[in-house]
Amino acid sequence: MENYLSTEFRRATPLFLEEARAKGRYRTAQRVFETLTPEQVVDEVKNSGLRGRGGAWFPTGIKWSFMPKEPLKGPSYLVINADEGEPGTFKDRQIMEKDPHLLLEGILIGSFAIRAETAFLYIRGEYKLAHDTLAQAIAELEAAGILGDAAFGTKRKMRIVLHRGAGAYICGEETALLNSLEGRRGEPRPKPPFPAVWGAFGRPTSVNNVETLANVPAILEKGAAWYKSAGTAQAPGHLLFGVSGAVERPGCFELPLGTTARELVERWAGGVKGGRRMKAFIPGGASTGFLPPDRLDVPMDPESLRKEGTMLGTGGIIVIPEGVEIVDAARVFSRFFRHETCGQCSPCREGSAWSDQVVGRFQRGEGRTEDFVLLDAIMRGSKQRTICVFPEAFAGPLGSAVKHFKDDLMAVSARRAAADAGSGAAAHGTASHG
Amino acid sequence: MSAAGQAGAGDRPATAPAAAPPDDLMSALRALPSRYPQARGALLPILTRLQEWRGHLTPADMRLAGELVGVAAADVFSVVTFYTMYRQRPVGRFPLGVCRNIACWVNGSEQLVATVRETLGIGPGETTPDGLFSLEEVECLGSCGSAPCLEIDSCYFEQQSPVSVKALLARLKAGAGDAAATLAAAHADAAAELRRARDGRP
Ligand SMILES: Cc1cc2nc3c(=O)[nH]c(=O)nc-3n(C[C@H](O)[C@H](O)[C@H](O)COP(=O)(O)O)c2cc1C
Ligand code: SF4
Ligand code: FES
Repeated sequence: MENYLSTEFRRATPLFLEEARAKGRYRTAQRVFETLTPEQVVDEVKNSGLRGRGGAWFPTGIKWSFMPKEPLKGPSYLVINADEGEPGTFKDRQIMEKDPHLLLEGILIGSFAIRAETAFLYIRGEYKLAHDTLAQAIAELEAAGILGDAAFGTKRKMRIVLHRGAGAYICGEETALLNSLEGRRGEPRPKPPFPAVWGAFGRPTSVNNVETLANVPAILEKGAAWYKSAGTAQAPGHLLFGVSGAVERPGCFELPLGTTARELVERWAGGVKGGRRMKAFIPGGASTGFLPPDRLDVPMDPESLRKEGTMLGTGGIIVIPEGVEIVDAARVFSRFFRHETCGQCSPCREGSAWSDQVVGRFQRGEGRTEDFVLLDAIMRGSKQRTICVFPEAFAGPLGSAVKHFKDDLMAVSARRAAADAGSGAAAHGTASHG
Repeated sequence: MSAAGQAGAGDRPATAPAAAPPDDLMSALRALPSRYPQARGALLPILTRLQEWRGHLTPADMRLAGELVGVAAADVFSVVTFYTMYRQRPVGRFPLGVCRNIACWVNGSEQLVATVRETLGIGPGETTPDGLFSLEEVECLGSCGSAPCLEIDSCYFEQQSPVSVKALLARLKAGAGDAAATLAAAHADAAAELRRARDGRP
């Protein structure tokens, strides 16, 4: 299957409307608006097997089918999740900075499918360039009459409101994002009610990731059967995989779901930087934790990674080279999650802080075998006892470090303890974060 | 100083911390609530615009934002404290944010922090005495594929090294008289340099 997500990624400047239309953009959206019903769009997307790229991998067509069929006494909304904050993830940014109209066409079709006349595009505060690029692209659509009171000359109204966040990882969680959009603290909401019932401003809402929506125009143009010809049976299509960390040519690569991590790292990203060996890799963003290099041949799809006890997440591979200790990398994450918990639920607030302290102990050479029991208790104690699944995110790096690198953690701790005893206040080297 | 308050560092009133927003910014702020089904939706955008203009948020700014969307000042305060991008204290004209997360860390972000410390004598949370620079460590910027990354007012400088950071600091310092223009030019050059280095790879 030819690439359909990343065709413009090598450009120096964004693909704006005139050139985009010359390449056939918006022909599909126009056909959808003029000739299809919302049910037909939802069915096509359902049949394609498209699953959400924000990390949870929920089937998009099914999510859309939960939305009210008749706008009941008021509007439904589409909310686009462009908060992209999972460390190791930088794909949505490529779409927005290079090919804004790919996303916008997906938004138009998605809005049509769920009978929304307003779409809110929530973009993380740091993505100023992406925000400004989208603002320009949206203005182009307004000037062209594609957005406005008669989208594509039909009776449908359509508008897109750009909204910038202000720095908080948790706002990527869909209900936190809705609170943030409403001008509140970005704290996740208890579910139910789910967004399809009570979403943005109390109205039925579908929250979809940027990359998810970028898949939609191709599905409507070429059909579900075409889409299913790539990827795996349960996760069809292409994914924008990220490869970062210690590799020769880091970047964002469009490949079928099910491509192995080895192919991504060795073939596409040029292997480990400087010809070093790999200590570990993270398959799909910070929350998915560490895997040892002997798992590189695992196919990168949700089901295969679940069998490995982890998740595909956002598909952002991060390579940790030999010479970097797992405990130091784990501390980067434990500190991150401690910083990013919203603090509403005690098991999460306290658990993220405790686990950071425990990892800190190992880092300083004060690790004890009892600490593994403690870590396990923290992770089990927070599971399913909180408003959102954030504790599963911080348990990712933590649990996997214990599972795959237990001996390593103890050995490094013992070595650092010995070094301290030997030379008083000897430094641990630059990798220590105190 | 351009009055609209959209651009960034250079637009800030150099003195007069109590200055009220200029008229054109005020009318832009007043137009925001009608974009949302409930006026409160405009709270973050209003705060963001105010901070872009002043450099940080004062209690008066928060009261103003609350009045514009019909929310009590205390409520605005609780929102402001939730989000890391909002600042309640002045920072340098060029607030440096160095990513400390995994991909940047593996690629030497600690050396970037050390370079800033050696060159400017400031660590995270500090501002230079001349008020030009401040330093902060930030979390993942979505720039992991071109790590290590630092940002200044959401302008990204990617694939940095101690050498490039030193050059950047010198250039910003030399052009501090027109901070916004200097930052924009440095950013454009850094982006072009990155494109050359990466040969079009995303
Ligand atoms: C802690 C946390 C952070 C999340 N961050 C993001 C994010 O940055 N971007 C995103 O699209 N989804 C994120 N999600 C997933 C969203 O909650 C939601 O599943 C997604 O936006 C739905 O869109 P999709 O079905 O198209 O994937 C996050 C979830 C959690 C629990
Ligand atoms: S689980 Fe953590 S992040 Fe989620 S709502 Fe509770 S405290 Fe907040
Ligand atoms: S880890 Fe630094 S930008 Fe993602």
